[in-house]
Amino acid sequence: MTKKIFKSIMVVAGAVLIASLVIIMGCLYRYFSNVQEKQLEDELSLAVIAVEWDGRDYLEELQSKEYRLTWVAENGEVIYDTQSDGEGMENHADREEIQEALRNKEGKSSRYSTTLLEKTLYCARRLNDGSVLRISVRSVTIWVLVLGMIQPILIVVVVALILSGILASHISKHIMEPLNSLDLEKPLENNTYEELAPLLNRINKQHRQIDMQLSELQRKNDEFTQITYGMTEGLVLLNEKNIILNINPAALKLFHTSHFCKGKDFLTVERNHDVSRAIQDAFLSGHSETRMEREGKEYQIHINRIESNGSVIGAVILAFDITEAAFAERNRREFTANVSHELKTPLQSIMGSAELMENGLVKPEDMTRFVGHIRTEAGRLVTLIDDIIRLSRLDEKCDMPFENVDLYEVASDVMAGLADIAAAKDIEVTLTGGTVSVKSVRRLLAEIIFNLCDNAIKYNKNGGTVEVAISRQENNAVIAVKDSGIGIPPEHQARIFERFYRVDKSRSKESGGTGLGLSIVKHAVQYLNGKIDLQSSPRQGTMIQISFQEDKNDVVNV
Amino acid sequence: MRSRFDEQLAILNKELTQMGAMCEEAIAVASKALTMGDIKLTDKVLSLDGEINRMERTIETLCLKLLLQQQPVARDLRQISAALKMITDMERIGTQAADIAEIITFLGGRTGGECEQIRFMADAASQMVTESIDAFVKQDIILAGAAIDRDDVVDDLFLQVKSSLIKLIAEKPTDGGYALDLLMIAKYFERIGDHAVNIAEWVAFSVTGEHKK
Repeated sequence: MTKKIFKSIMVVAGAVLIASLVIIMGCLYRYFSNVQEKQLEDELSLAVIAVEWDGRDYLEELQSKEYRLTWVAENGEVIYDTQSDGEGMENHADREEIQEALRNKEGKSSRYSTTLLEKTLYCARRLNDGSVLRISVRSVTIWVLVLGMIQPILIVVVVALILSGILASHISKHIMEPLNSLDLEKPLENNTYEELAPLLNRINKQHRQIDMQLSELQRKNDEFTQITYGMTEGLVLLNEKNIILNINPAALKLFHTSHFCKGKDFLTVERNHDVSRAIQDAFLSGHSETRMEREGKEYQIHINRIESNGSVIGAVILAFDITEAAFAERNRREFTANVSHELKTPLQSIMGSAELMENGLVKPEDMTRFVGHIRTEAGRLVTLIDDIIRLSRLDEKCDMPFENVDLYEVASDVMAGLADIAAAKDIEVTLTGGTVSVKSVRRLLAEIIFNLCDNAIKYNKNGGTVEVAISRQENNAVIAVKDSGIGIPPEHQARIFERFYRVDKSRSKESGGTGLGLSIVKHAVQYLNGKIDLQSSPRQGTMIQISFQEDKNDVVNV
Repeated sequence: MRSRFDEQLAILNKELTQMGAMCEEAIAVASKALTMGDIKLTDKVLSLDGEINRMERTIETLCLKLLLQQQPVARDLRQISAALKMITDMERIGTQAADIAEIITFLGGRTGGECEQIRFMADAASQMVTESIDAFVKQDIILAGAAIDRDDVVDDLFLQVKSSLIKLIAEKPTDGGYALDLLMIAKYFERIGDHAVNIAEWVAFSVTGEHKK
């Protein structure tokens, strides 16, 4: 600002200086030239009269340093010159002023010296005898005058420079002071010169705009944070250079890191090769998926590229916990495989027997045995399908009526039905306890007790015992089935409630089970909000205890 | 100028982390191949080793370029020179994981179950590599110290493996070759532990400027 003001002041000062110099010099110079010319003419007329009067004597007596008088004859020869020897001078007939004087009686001219520093003015007049008298005077040119004035001009310029410098800094300070002290936070409350008002108005408007945009941004940011913080899925935002922009708490937990990872490369958080490659893929192709195992949990990771106006600006990583889903999927796959296998085995057996009979390979006396075989296998199929149907019903959780059921009564009914099988293996079955009434589903309770007792008998040794006890412990109605059977090895205990799971796969045919019994028990107990406890040791027996916790009002002790 | 240098340093860090991740994977897959007796997995270790070797060349070139063009001093110089040393150790880890994989193919599906400590060794060495790479990524001297301390565990385990293999040979002289293969594997794990210690020490050097030896 100071510089600009200084410059303009200097330009103005310079222009004024030059202009005044030119004008003054021009006017004065012309005035003085005119005066000099007049004087020259006056002197000449005096000299002409004197020469006509006195002739050569006047010229010889004349002692003038300033003026030079030359008397030239009509033919141009110099008769006399006051400053040099007349005879030695060249012919003057071709001089402009002489010719003019010869022609018009008077002539004038001026000639510059070769250096332009001097100017000689000539004035000539024809005398009565035809000769010409010329007077000349030397004067300095305008340039010499100007040159002579350089020193004072320079002094003026220097003074102007200093003055304009001081003035410029003073003015700019004066202009800038109110600007510097503007309170831009409250633009309208400033008291400055009115030229600034439009600017301040605009600043005020923009202030309001910025405030609005800021609060809008803040609101959006809050929304985003609220949404992502509550998510159970891990969410990470990356920019195009793989730097973490945002990460939610679930992802922090998953990748074992802290908030300090923001602004760092994602590699510093997770350097798993598959994940890095998936991120690269996503940047190239737009989307990629991968799976990752972390502390026994399985995560599905989706990565999507983010684009804006056709250029890639980052990627978003979403990590789902699919442990349960993966487990369920595995279970379903196993179940399908098992069902097909279990269904196929008896059918294969039936087909085999039927083919033998069809081809007449069966002797008539064996026929009964074969038909019996087909019947048993078909019976197995029916049992299996029955079990599957029961299970799927439990899976679908179709509504079953809750009613007041006496556990003891149900148990004794079921055990009556099992008496024959127990007798076949010479197993002593006892029921202890008393009436315990619960609000429950009678059919499911029967199913549970039947399957438990059935297993207790099936996997028992000959002459063993099965004890069923119905009791009430605090708020719980408890069914306990204890046998003296083969027991379940510890490594299998966690899995026996899975569908088709067999401890001893080779013996399944022999014992005739479907592998679905305990699975049905588990689902039924779940449906009735009960709890299963298993205590078992190999070769000593198993005790399975089912307890239903109920409100005091529902348990009626009669 | 400086910002470009910073960018290049960031690339160097990124590549080093990737190389470290590959080393982790190589040794993890190698120990999985051993415990599962899965010969198919060994191919993966070998291909990882190839990738690690290529990576070493890339990082080496980058480091030399940085040294020449930027003439770094102080911390930057330490970082780059430490990187140059670390990639050598990482490359050795990769190669030794490949060696282990190669020996596993000779075992014929046996898993070294006779000598439990060898699995502990595999786990411990694997964890050491992870810790030292973690220390690098986080520039964490405490983690580096943990990795260095764990080396004693691996060394102890190696002695235990040795004595139990001696017992194995004494009991079943026919298994002599198998026992020797296991010993080689154990030795490689022990060496991998040493390389992990080296990496951890270089991390400490690049952070503090002091190299313990």
